[in-house]
Amino acid sequence: MKVTWILPDGGEISADVADGVNMMAAAVEHNIPGITGECGGNLSCATCHVYVADDWTGKTGSPDDFEDAMLDVAEAERKDCSRLSCQIVANAALDGLVLVVPAA
Amino acid sequence: MTIWTPTDDGFADLTSHDTFARGAPHNTFARLRRDDPVHWTDWDAGQGFWSITRHEDITEMNRQPQIFSSARGIRMEDQTYEEYLARRTFQETDPPEHMQTRIKVAKAFSKPVVAEFEQDIRGLCDEILDIALEKGEFDATKEIARQLPMRMLGRILGTPDEDLPWLVEKGDALIANTDPDFTDHVLDQMTTDEFRMMPFNSPAGAELYQYAKDLMAKKAAAGDTNGVLHLILQPSKDGSVITEEEFRNFFCLLVAAGNDTTRYSIAAGMQALCHQPELLGQMQTEDIWDTAPDEIIRWATPALYFRRTATQDVDMHGKTIKAGDKVLYWFSSANRDETVFDDPFRVNLKRTPNKHLSFGQGGPHVCLGMWLARLEVRVLFQELSKRLKSIEATGPHKFLRSNFVGGIKELPVRVVPK
Repeated sequence: MKVTWILPDGGEISADVADGVNMMAAAVEHNIPGITGECGGNLSCATCHVYVADDWTGKTGSPDDFEDAMLDVAEAERKDCSRLSCQIVANAALDGLVLVVPAA
Repeated sequence: MTIWTPTDDGFADLTSHDTFARGAPHNTFARLRRDDPVHWTDWDAGQGFWSITRHEDITEMNRQPQIFSSARGIRMEDQTYEEYLARRTFQETDPPEHMQTRIKVAKAFSKPVVAEFEQDIRGLCDEILDIALEKGEFDATKEIARQLPMRMLGRILGTPDEDLPWLVEKGDALIANTDPDFTDHVLDQMTTDEFRMMPFNSPAGAELYQYAKDLMAKKAAAGDTNGVLHLILQPSKDGSVITEEEFRNFFCLLVAAGNDTTRYSIAAGMQALCHQPELLGQMQTEDIWDTAPDEIIRWATPALYFRRTATQDVDMHGKTIKAGDKVLYWFSSANRDETVFDDPFRVNLKRTPNKHLSFGQGGPHVCLGMWLARLEVRVLFQELSKRLKSIEATGPHKFLRSNFVGGIKELPVRVVPK
């Protein structure tokens, strides 16, 4: 699937991501600034926080209880479309996904 | 100039605290990374263990807590199930149990909450540096590195300043329980079973438990909302409240693990300033503050290793780690891995990216206090460099006698203030 990150300065980075890979791991692999994923996708930090673009929130689902609690810990403002990107896993239905990286 | 020359012969005894009293055995780690990345050590004082020394391997294993569990101990020493139950903290749990405790304390140590301490920390640095630098010659660990985290601990706990030296002394006795300078109950020299059930096998743990209990009761009675600790006592989103056991174990963690690690990061940074003289000028004139704290913390690597226990057989690099085997992630080795860090034995304040593992990055147990540690290190070195014309070592520094906590416990320096 293809994913595009929109950076705080308006720049965009796109990449092909294999099914089963989470969006934090993909972001780290492609050196997306602002996404460090310090806990390796184990819901123990909030350093992979993204805003899911409007058209996609239905398809990415909503956070479970742990993710919900950890979103309160994120540095940037929490919005309805906030997710920890380690919890969004690539699959064909998400092809074309757009994620917005919050400004620090 | 290389500022650290490993002194071991490449075959150091990793079980020996005395090995580490001469500094981490980096020749041995370099050999293991190259020749034997999954290395077995026999041990006469307990079950043997595997040492993982490559950055890549630790990163891969650390994100899989279901295979490499924290719930059977996190140090080299064996512990029985009874010991584990008596003294575990949330460091010694796995997901999802780990998260149930962690979400109760995560907010208080989050980046935005911690950032509000910056001015406070700057004020503390003012006081500490004014006193220390005036002395001209002093032990930088004692006069500077030890002071800031201790005073911050007071802010976090909302405890009176006069209690702090006692708390830090007990915290040191817990975590540095193998160095006779810090405890009368040197762990590997004990012959009694009396302390086995206590946190960190130390009577200091029992005393801290009592202090935590009293503090919690006192605060509740007085409606005292001072300090970050107050946040932790609030019900979390799902209405659950931290239990007394969780609280007292967390308290011990704060006093022990959250205190000396920042101290030894500051000490290592000051040692680097002494031995790599260009660093001071860079701190004074260059834009390095986004990257310098992590480099100083990489250089320090206060948590030398953490242990996991395999829950299933795993084949790696031609070896078989059996279910039940102890596995040590040597962060101190990974942070000098030449395949990840250019010139790893040199401090480069602009190092980018800096994928060091000092905070256990890449796994669920990533350091809760990492934002506070980075902030304290940044502000301390900003304030220190502003005030210094020069700094030099006046003698050899001394390392803690511990294969678990890596730290410079004595760092004699001479300074010329501006």
